[in-house]
Parts: sequence; structure tokens; C-alpha cells
Amino acid sequence: MSKYIVVLLVVLALLITSCAPPAAAPAPVAEPAPAEQPAAEAPVVEEPAPAPAADEAVSLTMGSWRVDDVAQINAIIAEFNKVYPNISITFDPTNPPDYNATLRTQLEGGTGPDLYYLRSFATSRQLFEEGFIEPLADLPGLKESFSEASLGPWSAADGTPYGVPFIAVSHGVYYNKNIFQELGIEIPTTWQELLAAAQTIKDAGYTPFANASGDAWTIAEIVFMNLAPTFIGGYEGRQAYLNGERCFNDEAMVNAFQAVADLGPFVPDGQEALTYYDSQQLFLMGQAAMWLGGSWDIPVFESEAPEFEWGVFGIPAPEGQEQRYVTFHLDAGMGVNAASPNKEAAKTFLEWMTTPEFAKLLANQLPGFFPISNNPPAPDNVHAAEFLALNEGAGLDIRLAWEKLLDGQPDGYTLMQDSAIAVLGGDMTAQEAADALQAGLAQWYEPAQNCQP
Amino acid sequence: MAQSTAGSEARGSLHRYELRRKLIWLLFLLPALLIYVRFMALPLFNSLGLSFYQGTGLTPERFVGFDNYIQLFTAPLWRDRFFNALGNTAVFFAIHMLVQNTLGLLFAVLLATGIKGHGLLRTIIFLPATLSVLIIGFLWRLILNPQWGAVNQFLKAIGLEQFALPWLGDPTWALIVISLVSVWQWVGLPTMFYLAGLLTIPEELTEAARVDGASSWQAFWRIKFPLLLPVIGIVAVLTFVGNVNAFDIIYAMAGARGEPAYSTDLLGTFFYRTAIAGEHPVAIPNMGMGAAVATVMFLILLVGVSVWLLLTQRRGAEM
Repeated sequence: MSKYIVVLLVVLALLITSCAPPAAAPAPVAEPAPAEQPAAEAPVVEEPAPAPAADEAVSLTMGSWRVDDVAQINAIIAEFNKVYPNISITFDPTNPPDYNATLRTQLEGGTGPDLYYLRSFATSRQLFEEGFIEPLADLPGLKESFSEASLGPWSAADGTPYGVPFIAVSHGVYYNKNIFQELGIEIPTTWQELLAAAQTIKDAGYTPFANASGDAWTIAEIVFMNLAPTFIGGYEGRQAYLNGERCFNDEAMVNAFQAVADLGPFVPDGQEALTYYDSQQLFLMGQAAMWLGGSWDIPVFESEAPEFEWGVFGIPAPEGQEQRYVTFHLDAGMGVNAASPNKEAAKTFLEWMTTPEFAKLLANQLPGFFPISNNPPAPDNVHAAEFLALNEGAGLDIRLAWEKLLDGQPDGYTLMQDSAIAVLGGDMTAQEAADALQAGLAQWYEPAQNCQP
Repeated sequence: MAQSTAGSEARGSLHRYELRRKLIWLLFLLPALLIYVRFMALPLFNSLGLSFYQGTGLTPERFVGFDNYIQLFTAPLWRDRFFNALGNTAVFFAIHMLVQNTLGLLFAVLLATGIKGHGLLRTIIFLPATLSVLIIGFLWRLILNPQWGAVNQFLKAIGLEQFALPWLGDPTWALIVISLVSVWQWVGLPTMFYLAGLLTIPEELTEAARVDGASSWQAFWRIKFPLLLPVIGIVAVLTFVGNVNAFDIIYAMAGARGEPAYSTDLLGTFFYRTAIAGEHPVAIPNMGMGAAVATVMFLILLVGVSVWLLLTQRRGAEM
């Protein structure tokens, strides 16, 4: 019996200690990426190249969260190699939810990629402040090709740029052309017309909007932050919140949440449990007539349903408001690993990224991802061009939560997300949602504490 | 005299030999012990140490003493998430304990009676345990989908439309439903434990009881069940350890945030978000705080398992 207990104790000790290794084992890799996307095409090249001369062959690796873009990025790199045949670049993306953690592990372990995608604002700024990203103050072409505002998301507090603005994504309302034609609906020009159209669609037996809150981020990013600029007055309105001239529960913010509440009756049954993918399918299958969505889904829709006829329009302004707004989010920049042995080669690539040739190439290789440069070329893709055309005459701004509001806890993103979901589901009024946002931010964000109501 | 000296010498060497023979097992333990210490015990202590530090990245460098723990238990943001996760973990464990282990016992008794097709049944009961949790999560997400999932289609078909809820999107039901999915997957394990336990109980005992006039109900509760208690204890402690650490099924079915609205957030997902993934979209992990969460989980396990050991050992002494 005592022997039995000893064995059992050992087994138990093993079991108990196996509880902690995620923290103990110094590798977040412990949690394997679920549903790993086929990123296998990009073999990891580990070539320790000791600082080469200018014309010597150099290989670089490029870190990214865009696992869907392997072929496209490789095509862009192939074009780069026509000009710079000596610099070979391996695109090595990580599954999006794991990207930040994986990149950080690599950088701290000294195995970081030479070039890597930078998230905008807080996430990459922290990496820069910790010295993982090379400053780019003297990169030729940077100041000429990009506006101050475009450089902002990848600049330090003192204005030093550390990333080349790379990719922007746009937001709007996708609509099913056939259903609109069948029901004789015109593209709505005011928010009220949009709601009237939704009612017509609902009466005809379709789901008006495919949006659902099963994946929480979709409500934050493609619903609330898609329509918010229209109701709070775009960039200027957002800055007024950020510098304390407005409180986060003022009338305009309540109106933005009210717009989410307006959509409540028009989303699918069981939206609480429907995922992003479900929403895409509802729209593609013609069960839902509209979808508040992002431009990055253009290639998805085109490849999954080439015959399907859809268009896109911008969030219409409420009645009596002339100015339209589009959420044109600066999403990704490109930076150089400060510890890379091949910084010069990597900077050569960044310099090439500031050229109009690159912008043109990017626009055509990745429809739905827009170059950020001052004079973006018109994309060949019809849908991408349609999306980009929404910008004409509209006020452009990035997503509401990104600048400054992510720098503390509870962060603005989570507050907006949770409130918008509650509003959409009818569990909270627009006023309560805005009050919750103000109260949450006032816990740490000084301008929100001292705002003038 | 000489003879007696020789005798004592022989006895001495015999004694030494005996001693060596008794201690030789230590030598055989050594390789395993080394590996265990290096790859399990040391990291565990490292993790304990890490919980006293702050800073970003894998090796936080700023010593903060018990600050992480104080934050965890007093700062509203951390405290609410932590106790919410603790409560959810308790519910998750309770459902497993009640449903999984009761069903397991029931299935085992059924299989032990040797009913027709018990081989096939045994396979069916155990089959889900051989599948990946991610596959199970994916399949059940499809089955429970409010638009085209089988569960709600079935409920609608038999006229119970009002019960066709968005199961995984409903804060009241999501945790219960996911727990039941996990029970469905793992019920085969306790079944096998109990079945093995039942088969080792000598037939003579139940036969004797029958001769003495006991019904099969009495024979089960008075004879088989008490003899099965050690196995039940092991199953209970395995369930406890497995559930306090649970992460994968929630991650597969509700994501790392324990959606909807943290209603399915377990200690495991809370730890993952804190220490490894960070919160979307910033996603900057807080290793020190994560280590503090892991340490608290470890203490919960330690206390739970110690209580169990204490109880079972006292029982052993009584017997």
C-alpha cells in the first residue's frame, strides 16, 4: 500500500507541475497556433550572413501577420528583385492572433526577422521604445512620399519615424446588387434611408445586415468604428475627444452608439453566436442583403463567389449633415529589426517601398489593401477602385480607438467593443454605452477626466 | 572468539550489501530525477520567481515584490476578471464532476454487465476522447450554429422554436453548453477507469452477497461501490487537476476572451490572455502578472490535491 502511495505521489507531482509550464517554459510557442493556415509555402531561411559588401548576395526574412498573402507578397518581392537581384527576401508570416507574441519572443531571443510588419500606434511604438526597431529619420523618400498624418502611426512621441507606412484598409457597406434591384432599392444617401431600406429588405424576408457579434472584434472594428466618424465628425471630432474638448459621453457619441442600436432589429437571428465567417457566408449566399465590412474581404468574396454581384457604399450621413466620412484605417507599416546584421539591405527595401512603382504594385497585388502614399494610383481591380472612390469628398479618419486610447487599462477598444455589443443586443441603451465608455476612460485617460461636458 | 569475529565480519559485509541493495534504486531514479528537476521543477520555481517581477517581454526585470498579487486581488480590472474566471472554473469543474463522472460510472456498470454489443459501445463511448479538442470544438460550433446548426434545426422541426437559442452567444448558457461538450468528449476516460476497477472486484463477493439474499442494487452500493472508492478518488483528482488547468476547449469554442462577455472565461484562458497573448488589438503580454495567475492556479491545485491526499490517507489508516 505504501509503495502504491509513493508511485501515486510521483505521478501526482508530475501532474501538478505540468500545470505551470506555460509560464515557466520560456516560449509562448507552447500554445500551438490553432487551425494553422497553410503558411508552409514560406520555408524559414536561417542564413546567418555576416555583414556583406554592397554587391554581395544577402537574404532577409520578413515577418507578418498576413498568412493569406504569401503569393502576392512573393510577387512583389520578385519585382523588387528585378531591381535589386542581390537581396533575396523570404516572407514568413505568423497566424494573426499569435503575431505580436511570436514577434516579441523572436526579437527578445535575437531571432527576429530582418523586416517586419508593424501594427499602428501603441503596439509598435512600445517595440520601438524598447529598441527593437531601427529609427528611420534619414530614410530617403520617406518624408517626400508620405504626409505627416500618414507617418504618425509609426512615429515616436518626438516625431522620429520608425516605419514606412504600408497598408491602409477602408470600411463601408457591402450590398447585394440583385436584392437591391429585386426590391427596387436605391443606394441610401442618408442614415434614415439606410434604415428604411433595411426595413424593406426585412419585410421581403431577407436579413438586412449580415453582421453578428459572435466574434467580438467585428462589432468593434467593422460596425462601431466603421460608422463612428460619421456621427462624431471624423478626424476633427476625434481629436476633440482626445484633447478633452469633448467628453466621451456627449451627444455625438451617444448618436454613434444609437446608430448601432438602430441596426439591432436588422441583424440575423442568433447573431450573438454567429462568427465572422458565418456573416460572410450569409452575405455570399444571398440570405443577407448588406454587410458592414472592411475592404480586406474583397479578395475573399471574389475568390469564393466570382459570379456574385455586389457593390459597396459609404456609411451615409444622418439627415441634415452634408459631410460624409469614411474610416480609412492605417493598418500596417514596415520596420527594420534594429538587431539585424543586414540593416542596409533591409533599408534598401524600405526605400523601394516609398516609390510610386511599389504603391502601384501593392494596389494591384492586394486589392482591398491600399497604399498610403500621397498620390495613390488607381487600382485595376473594380471593387478596390469602388472602395477607394468612396474617399472622394469624404472626411477620412482612422479607427476611433487606435490613437492614444489603447495606452491604458481599461483600453478604449475593449470598452467600445463591449458597449457596442451590448447595444446591438439590446442589453444597454446608447446613453448607457457612452457613459460606460466615458467612465472607463476617465479611470486613466487624463483628457477624459478633465473634459468639458 | 575468532569464530565470532569472523561471524560478525560476515554479518557486517552482509549488512553493507543489504544496505547497498536497498539504496541502489536511488541510482536508477537519478536520470529521471535530473530531467524532472531541470525541465519541470526548475521552470516551476522560475515561474514563481517571475511573479514578483514586472516589465514587458519574456524576462521582466523590475522587482515589485507582491505587487502583482496585490493588483490581482484588489485592482478592480484584474480582480473582477480573476474572480469571474475562478467562478467559471468552479462551474466547469462541478459540471464535469457531476455529469461526466456520474455518466462514466453508469456506463461502466452497464458495460461490466456484459450487455449485448458492449465492445462496440465501449468504442463509441471512448471515441471522442481520441479526437483533437480543436476538431471537437469546430464540430460542435457547427452543430450549435443558430442559423444552420443541427441542434436548432432539430428543435425547430419538433416545434420547440422558443428553445432554439444562440447557445454559444448566450451568457447564461455558453459555459454550461461548452462544459457539456467537454463532458461528451472525455466521458470515456472515467468509464474506462471505473470499468477496470469493476472488473478487478472478485466475482465471489457478489456471488456470496447474492446467496445471502442481497438484491443487485444492494450488492452494488454495499459491495462494489465501496471497493470502487479508490478509483473514484483518482478520477476525482484527475478531473480536478484537468479542469483547473482547462483552456483548450474554451479557446476552440469561445476564443481566448471567453466570449460572450467573459462568461466562459476560465483561469486557463485568463492566464493565456495575461501572460501570452495580451488583449486584442494591443496584445502586449504581461508576463509578471501572468506568472502570478499561474502561481495562484498552482496553489489552488496544491491545496485541492493535498486535501484529497489527506482524506484518502486517513481512510487508508482506518482500513
